[in-house]
Amino acid sequence: MRGGALPPALLCASVGLALAFAPRRAWLPSLVTVTLTTVVFAALPIPANWLEGVFLGCWASVAATAAMVHLPRDMAVSGAVGLSFNAGLWSGAEVALAGSRLDIAKALVCVLMLVPAAFVVDWRAPIIVKVVASWLLAVALLAATLQVLPVTPGYLPDHMD
Amino acid sequence: MSGASRVSRAVDFNATGYGKGLFDVNASGQMTRCSHSRVAIAACAAVALFTGSSAEAHMGTGLAGGFESGFKHPLTGADHLLAMVSVGLWGAFLGRPLIFALPVVFPAVMVAGAVMGMLGVPLPPVEMGVALSVSVLGGCIAFSVNAPVWLASLIVAIFAIFHGYAHGKELPSAADPVGYSLGFVLATGSLHVLGIGIGLLNHRPGGVRVTRGLGVLIAGAGVWFLYKAVAF
Repeated sequence: MRGGALPPALLCASVGLALAFAPRRAWLPSLVTVTLTTVVFAALPIPANWLEGVFLGCWASVAATAAMVHLPRDMAVSGAVGLSFNAGLWSGAEVALAGSRLDIAKALVCVLMLVPAAFVVDWRAPIIVKVVASWLLAVALLAATLQVLPVTPGYLPDHMD
Repeated sequence: MSGASRVSRAVDFNATGYGKGLFDVNASGQMTRCSHSRVAIAACAAVALFTGSSAEAHMGTGLAGGFESGFKHPLTGADHLLAMVSVGLWGAFLGRPLIFALPVVFPAVMVAGAVMGMLGVPLPPVEMGVALSVSVLGGCIAFSVNAPVWLASLIVAIFAIFHGYAHGKELPSAADPVGYSLGFVLATGSLHVLGIGIGLLNHRPGGVRVTRGLGVLIAGAGVWFLYKAVAF
């Protein structure tokens, strides 16, 4: 089992954390972008044999987006919207191939991590958000690595099955 | 160098108002809130030391589940639990930037160790490395070792490889590896935060002695784990 709401939810959560370091005027366009893109891509007929690539893209996006919190300067508005588009693209594609409509809602709710993250950044403790982002980064790297390594993950049948 | 001066680089938690009034001395001889805190911490340490066994966190069998299984995993093995708490506690001793850098370094390097574990890259006996991490980190706390940033990061990174390796070997057998990883990383991070929280005691009267005493207990437990790893 590896589909469902968890991969897009983690991607949306990492977008929420990254947006906490973007200017406030970037929030609304970014939230609209990630919502619309997710819904649109979830409705597209994506070929089933793209599944591995979509998962890999999803995890790579989680890692890249979570790493954005370590940028030395605040994110530009265009950067925030671009990040949101990328997140929506991979989230929607993952839901289209291995999720349900309810998973879209579950995933998009996680963008609201922005609210506590922005509060913590305003509270002059951005390092807390960076620590949490490093946890997401670790999970994404583990999941992506597991997919490309020559091991048999528990969700696939092995030679005994 | 006294214990108080050794923690001079630590974050000034008094200035932030954390735990104000927690450690007032009761002249009448009744149990104070400070005593309650110390008793609670000692109880937690005792529970951590005696409820799990060193091998529990790294048995690597029957990983059926996802998030719940991953979250419980670090909490049910005393070796992993004590090492994670020690990372946070030592970070609290060392102060900025290590108080937050160590909890970032650990999961990042742990991923590298996990990949090595999944690939089956040869490594010295992992149980010994994990046991050594408990004793060394406990010792660093007990002696208030004021390591420079690079050295503290290197020590934590080396031990993170062993912890990651142990869990990486188990990860492929989990039915829901993503949920398992998420639970595992969150529990690990929470234990770091718990260690930092215990480290807040450093800025209270007698707090350094309590945390250094915990360091002695942790180091002792690490020596016991090491003995078990070597003997059995």
